[in-house]
Amino acid sequence: MSPLIKTVLATVFLVAVTLPAEAITTLVVKSATDTAAIQPVIEDFETLNPGIHVDYHELESNDLDRQFHQAYANHTSTADIIISPAMDLQTRLVNDGYAQTYQSRYTASLPAWAKWRNQAFGFTFEPVVMAYSKAAFRGHTLPLTHAALARQLREHPDFYRGKVGTYDVRASGLGYLFATQDAVQSSTSARLLESLGRSDVKTYCCTSDVLNRLDKGTLVLGYNLLGSYALAQAEKDPRIGIIVPQDYTLVMSRVAFISARAKHVNAARRFIDFLLSPAGQHVIANSSALIAIRPDIQAPMSASSIRKRYDSSFQPIPLGPGLLVYLDQMKRAHYLEEWESMILPLGPVHTKEGRPGVVQK
Amino acid sequence: MSTTEVPGGVRRYSLRRRLLLRMSGALLILLLLIGVGVWIYARKAADYAYDQLLEGSSLSILGQVYARDGKVLVDLPYAALNMLSQAPDDRVFYQVLGPSGKHLTGYKDLPLPTRYKPSAKAHFFDRPYSGETVRFVLQSRHLTEQGVDGWVTVEVGQTRIARRAMTYRLLFSALGMLTVVILCGLAFVGIGINRALAPLTTISRELRQRSPTDFQPFQADAPMEITPLVDTLNAFIRRLHGNLDAMQVFIADAAHQIRTPLATLQAHLDMASRSREPEEWQERIDRAQDRGRHLIRLTNQLLSHAMVNHRGESQTLAPLDLGELLKRTVVETVRDRAHTKIEFAYHNRLDEAWIDGDALSLKEAFRNLLDNAIKYGPDNNLVTVELRQGHSADQIDVRIEDQGPGIEPGLRERSLKRFERLQPQVSGSGLGLAIVEAVAVIHDAQLTLADGHEGGLAVILSFRRRS
Repeated sequence: MSPLIKTVLATVFLVAVTLPAEAITTLVVKSATDTAAIQPVIEDFETLNPGIHVDYHELESNDLDRQFHQAYANHTSTADIIISPAMDLQTRLVNDGYAQTYQSRYTASLPAWAKWRNQAFGFTFEPVVMAYSKAAFRGHTLPLTHAALARQLREHPDFYRGKVGTYDVRASGLGYLFATQDAVQSSTSARLLESLGRSDVKTYCCTSDVLNRLDKGTLVLGYNLLGSYALAQAEKDPRIGIIVPQDYTLVMSRVAFISARAKHVNAARRFIDFLLSPAGQHVIANSSALIAIRPDIQAPMSASSIRKRYDSSFQPIPLGPGLLVYLDQMKRAHYLEEWESMILPLGPVHTKEGRPGVVQK
Repeated sequence: MSTTEVPGGVRRYSLRRRLLLRMSGALLILLLLIGVGVWIYARKAADYAYDQLLEGSSLSILGQVYARDGKVLVDLPYAALNMLSQAPDDRVFYQVLGPSGKHLTGYKDLPLPTRYKPSAKAHFFDRPYSGETVRFVLQSRHLTEQGVDGWVTVEVGQTRIARRAMTYRLLFSALGMLTVVILCGLAFVGIGINRALAPLTTISRELRQRSPTDFQPFQADAPMEITPLVDTLNAFIRRLHGNLDAMQVFIADAAHQIRTPLATLQAHLDMASRSREPEEWQERIDRAQDRGRHLIRLTNQLLSHAMVNHRGESQTLAPLDLGELLKRTVVETVRDRAHTKIEFAYHNRLDEAWIDGDALSLKEAFRNLLDNAIKYGPDNNLVTVELRQGHSADQIDVRIEDQGPGIEPGLRERSLKRFERLQPQVSGSGLGLAIVEAVAVIHDAQLTLADGHEGGLAVILSFRRRS
């Protein structure tokens, strides 16, 4: 920390101490993001806003959606800000009128795809990638595209059998989003899914579970993983390599919105502004496990350096009513049925217990 | 606003400002009326455009409804909802209802019209939902396959934000264009008014720059609308010129005619005062008296002539009964001459004799004629005054005849000129007949000198009867 910042912080601290009348506002944030990943952002926000304390609750994205719905219906909602990488679920909440509008120069600087109705704001740039065990792939060709992976799964069944991990789309809202967006994006996604099924793919709740198993050598490849976590892990762990598919790479953005019934609207707006501001984006890029979306941020974990580092066709998932389609009850049931029929026949599914909900409105 | 109070209480207004204000007002009302029309049209256009989108969406969903084992299933196409993001900020709702209205998928609590007969034709309606006005489309398809027989209905709704934006965009661009047109129109009106008023400005500038002695008529090439003004102005200049001329003539006449008798009068008086002989005194005083009387008469006649001329210029004719006026004049004259042997005869052969005339001038003319008749006639003169029908039905003749020597036909014209005296031995001003002629001109009457029945002079004034 530079002496200047220290002085500023000391002054802020002094002001905060000498003005005890200023009550502390507690901003309730409910989020489907690892607390550890976002902690630096919250700490910085609290430092810059001494009057605001952030009460952070981490939930799984489907649970978060369900809980928020219920609490809202029962008028017991306490959340001021909802954050989730499940862009589809967030879109549905906004579509159903659970968010409130906010406009500032920071929201105006967002790319169009990461913003909807000035209510939903995407504040990260997280590519959907493959991760692999470098040791396992020594002397083996890397599948650099989706088509190459499908081909290799068929051509080298022994190498891959039981050693590929991906999301359990029934358990993870995020996994469901990635899988369905694959279907939207690529006409060969069904064939890849079938190949994965034949290779006895293992399914997990989260990216971290897959990354851990790559480490241990239980798996050789993880498919459709969250790029932010995978890249962060690969930074720390030289045994793990990352493939950013060259044909197309989906990009997810973590979406935050202010609840229509937020009790601390001003604090919530300051939090949104901080997330989107250069200062907040710097923290995201430099200190968190996430990737900054603002194109003017120059750091290893920022949208511009990711775009520069990897030669791929990045396909951001745009916020908007299109995302509601795969949340349709029948569509979802139909998709899951198909998914199960392709993934399940060849082996047991490794997943947490509990039937993942078909989310009813 | 468009009038200004000027000292003297006359309210003056600017034609330009008044015209512009009224035009602006009228155009503003027009703009408002057109605005309402455009708004209705724009709303329809926006609804039409986005209704197409809604119908496209409902059609694509209907296309993905199928039956399997007696159950109706829907495979919601991605495009069905994604295409609605053409309206980027609008929320989207949908549901699919199976035969007998069973909810199959989508939003369960969407509003439905009270009466809906399933049809392949799209049915649109607006209804509040989720805190906003939402535009809905209902569309159905008859499904007969795999044990299902009935209507499947799709309902898709979209909030009105994009429609509203498009309505306002259309409205404001139309109004913007209209405003430009109206401003151009007003500018043209302004220029037009300036151009129209330009001849007036030219005329007033020319008037201002004129020398006081310049009585030339205006040669301004004025437009038709201004021509009457220019003509009137020219007529006024002509009259003013005439008045000034008459005044100058009067001054010259008076100076010339009065100077000599005054000098003679002075000479008689001087000689009388210098003489030592009483007989000469008497003679000089008699002559001075005679000159004095002449001077008085001359002055009276000069003033009378000037008065008649002036009244003629100012055009103050009014209806009057000629017989009444004539009678009064004759009676007055008779009264003045009661001590003489002169006889008067007055014949009024008409029941009524109304003309448009100026009583004062006419009286002056008749008195002069009567004076002349007396003056140039013998002592036992008979003056006959007759009021009678003229040559035509609308003419009234006043005829005054004496028993004097008359005027030879060759000299009659001369006798009408001012200061022309045919009989220098009779004391006269030479203005009597000139005054009569001036009065005749004012009344557009005809003056004729003729021979009297008894050899004297007959003066006939023919007036036009009042219609």
